[in-house]
Amino acid sequence: MTYGPFSKKASQSNSKAVSHLNRVLVILGLMLCFIAGVAQAEVPNAVPPKGEHKGVDVPQPIEFPHNIHVKDNKINCMYCHTYARRNNGAGIPPTSKCMGCHTVIATDKPRIKKLTEYWQKGESPKWKKVHDLPDFVHFNHEKHLNRFIFNNEGMTVERADEVCAFCHGEVKEMTVAHKVKPLNMGFCQRCHEANDGPSDCWKCHK
Amino acid sequence: MSTYKVKRRDFLKITGLSGASAALAACDMPTTVTLEEGKEDVVSYLMPEEYVIPGIGVWYASTCQQCDAGCGIIGRVREGRVLKLEGNPNSPVNQGGLCQIGQAALQTHYNPDRLQQPKLRKAGKLVDASWDEAFAAVTAAIGPDAGIDGSRVAWLSGTVSGHQRVLMDAVSEALGTSKHYAHEVLNDAVVDKVNAEIYGNANVRYNIAEAQSVLSFGADFLSTWGSSVHNSVQYGQFRDAPRGVLMQAEPKMTVTGASADLWLPVRPGAEGALAMTIAAELVAKHGKDVNVLPKAIADKLSDYGLTNAEEQTGVPADLIKKAAEFLAGRTPSLVLAGGPAAAHEHGYESVTAAAVLNVLLGNVGKTVTPVGDFPLPALAPKKGDTAQLAAFADAANADDVSVALIVGTNPVYTASADLDVAAALGKVNTKIAFAEFIDETSALADIVLPLHSDLESWGTHVASYQPTEPMISLQQPLMEPLYAETRAFGDVLLDIMKLFNAEQYGLFADYYAYLRNFANGLGEGEAFWQAGLQKGSFVVSAVEEAPSIELNVATAESEESAEAEGIAEDAATFVFALPEFEKDNDFPLTLVPAATGRLGDGRFANLPWLQEAADSISKVVWNSWVEMHPATALRFGIKQGDKIRVSSKSGDAEALVYLHKGVNKDTVAVPMGQGHTDYGRYATGRGVNPMKMVATATDAATGELAFCATAVSVEATGRNEELVKLGGSESQVGRKLVGTITADQFRRI
Repeated sequence: MTYGPFSKKASQSNSKAVSHLNRVLVILGLMLCFIAGVAQAEVPNAVPPKGEHKGVDVPQPIEFPHNIHVKDNKINCMYCHTYARRNNGAGIPPTSKCMGCHTVIATDKPRIKKLTEYWQKGESPKWKKVHDLPDFVHFNHEKHLNRFIFNNEGMTVERADEVCAFCHGEVKEMTVAHKVKPLNMGFCQRCHEANDGPSDCWKCHK
Repeated sequence: MSTYKVKRRDFLKITGLSGASAALAACDMPTTVTLEEGKEDVVSYLMPEEYVIPGIGVWYASTCQQCDAGCGIIGRVREGRVLKLEGNPNSPVNQGGLCQIGQAALQTHYNPDRLQQPKLRKAGKLVDASWDEAFAAVTAAIGPDAGIDGSRVAWLSGTVSGHQRVLMDAVSEALGTSKHYAHEVLNDAVVDKVNAEIYGNANVRYNIAEAQSVLSFGADFLSTWGSSVHNSVQYGQFRDAPRGVLMQAEPKMTVTGASADLWLPVRPGAEGALAMTIAAELVAKHGKDVNVLPKAIADKLSDYGLTNAEEQTGVPADLIKKAAEFLAGRTPSLVLAGGPAAAHEHGYESVTAAAVLNVLLGNVGKTVTPVGDFPLPALAPKKGDTAQLAAFADAANADDVSVALIVGTNPVYTASADLDVAAALGKVNTKIAFAEFIDETSALADIVLPLHSDLESWGTHVASYQPTEPMISLQQPLMEPLYAETRAFGDVLLDIMKLFNAEQYGLFADYYAYLRNFANGLGEGEAFWQAGLQKGSFVVSAVEEAPSIELNVATAESEESAEAEGIAEDAATFVFALPEFEKDNDFPLTLVPAATGRLGDGRFANLPWLQEAADSISKVVWNSWVEMHPATALRFGIKQGDKIRVSSKSGDAEALVYLHKGVNKDTVAVPMGQGHTDYGRYATGRGVNPMKMVATATDAATGELAFCATAVSVEATGRNEELVKLGGSESQVGRKLVGTITADQFRRI
């Protein structure tokens, strides 16, 4: 079972910012998550990659709360990161997508007001890239989602976040995303070996 | 001293193992250097089109503007940037093909030497200015309140067509000037005149695909002549079974010559004599009817024959015999002429002699079909040539031009040595250049207005050669402009017209609106426009009936009727004098400035892709060379790689020698396109410009520059260097990498 370490990482990286009360909440959440993790079946036909990374804090123009969207409101990762199943890059959702909801939802919150300002100026926020790969590495989201979600017997789209967590960690526990997986060649290679992924050099280095 | 013995095999094993373990260990090395967190900005789309997926390109149709062939292109646009161009499969011109020059349009667009800021001449120097300042200067120079004599304003352009031409003409009309000089070194002026006189219309459609044999006099139709991508598609069909026979007569082997079954190394200027000899042979041995020819030509035919052919033309008699056999035996045939064949004092006669071969062989209406003028004459191309440049220089030197509007041409670079365009421009008070780059000509301007690249602009174009039905090609921008202070040429023209006629032209917010308005006149509705955008062109339904293909020549039999049309008189003046080769011991050779499908007339020399692409014949990159027959080199004691000086009465140049048997023995060839003095970081100071050795001799009938008629001498400078080219060796050194048989063996097959 591998969910424990993910949640731990997530709580660690957020700990600086949260108050004592929050910390208790997070620990509670962590325990809940752990229990849920144990109770829930693993992603079928998959051996999740092992490896940890202590990511740095990446301040974003708007502190985007993944937890509210994913955990509290059960929004599927691919609702916003809609390009993930269509192409190499998962993509940042277009600002129009944010505004699709936030013209009516939570419009009084400071972060939404900031977002609305961008929208009215006709600009998109300059988000900072958290998960980066060197230019000589070609990672394809579409192929991985096909393998682990869409063409995976016994897997459902509703559980997509569990697959995303292989490489991105428990984003649903985070506010702004943190890098918690090393995403280096060893990390990729071990997963490819465990899951019968291709091992030709040119699959990734082209 | 003890020795530690390791066998070679063990050594390899050890290094192999340690290498592998090092590689494996490296997989988990902390890679903080390349895996950045929070360093890069990712800006999402604000509101993308539904079909836009980051990372996946969307292809948009446009029209290539590298030359005036009007090839349809499609450009892959991703994240707002155009990344790749290909030929548009829906275009009847290029049918999905695109030449290397077209591919390199990306490098014109992204070129670091692109003009990003208008320039004004202050105290003798060009200094940056804002667009508003520069346009105010233009307004002051040619606006309605400029207080100038509008008839002294002149356009100096390249070939222009479509609505750019319409607006240029509108500017001329508003100013009250009739001076528009279009200049291209590589042009069809001579061929057009001959076509008009022999076939009845300058616009002629050549059907290479239908022909069973093609004889081309200097027309490098696969690379530099006509609509070369269209011709290449046709050539592919021509070579399909039954395989057509290609013959090429030219002083310096071109791409087309290299593809030919029979290559005839004709002396420069003797193409007409060669054509006449073949005609005489066809009449004498193959029963062709001499009476279909114009009388003036038929009368001259007896002067030509195989006996003294080699002496006259440089082509061995048996090759001429063979060519006549192919033409007579494989019908329909097709005879083309252009390029160096037209660039002589008797170029007009040479091309005429080639054209009458089509008449003699009965090709007119089969493989050569005259077509009518373009149905919308205001949009038809104003074709550039060299006679118009000479006319501009005359007008400027006579103080008839006070303002020159320069666009799409670089005459200071392309003019012959004896035509001092820079001095002529010096007589013009105000020179306004609309340009993407500073080149030799725009560097002399007083006001430089930087233009959008062709991939950023709207436009309509009419190709000089319309291969199928009459068509307007549509140029749509493939991306937003890179620079804030550039404008599309159409928009600048529209702005100028708004100065004169705000009421009418003020209706259009921009050039796009102007074109939309025109399109509404062609076909109603948004769907029509969108269909045009997707296809990249509008077909102009034939407004006129297809012109008759009746011959317009004065034949010996029908002289009377032709005389009424005023043709016979012209035909009677045809000069088919034997080419006289002056035995000038000081200048014993003839210079052929060779057009290539890489650098064209020099305008593509600032594109690294084309500089690094090896020349098709010599494989030389990034430089000039002198191409010479080994026998000629032996005569002058010159070896491969020798740096030699080529001198004419008008100029000289030094370059390394490339020995090649594909050159007539009385000829030296120097490629066009290099030797720029002011054309950005990639072109400047590289190689030599052969045009600066060319004397201003002209074709008598058209006034076109006879750029292949300059006598030159060669002398070694004593230096020998490595000529930088792909493929170091001309020989396979017996390795049989490519199986070959001799031409004789091939002919027996």
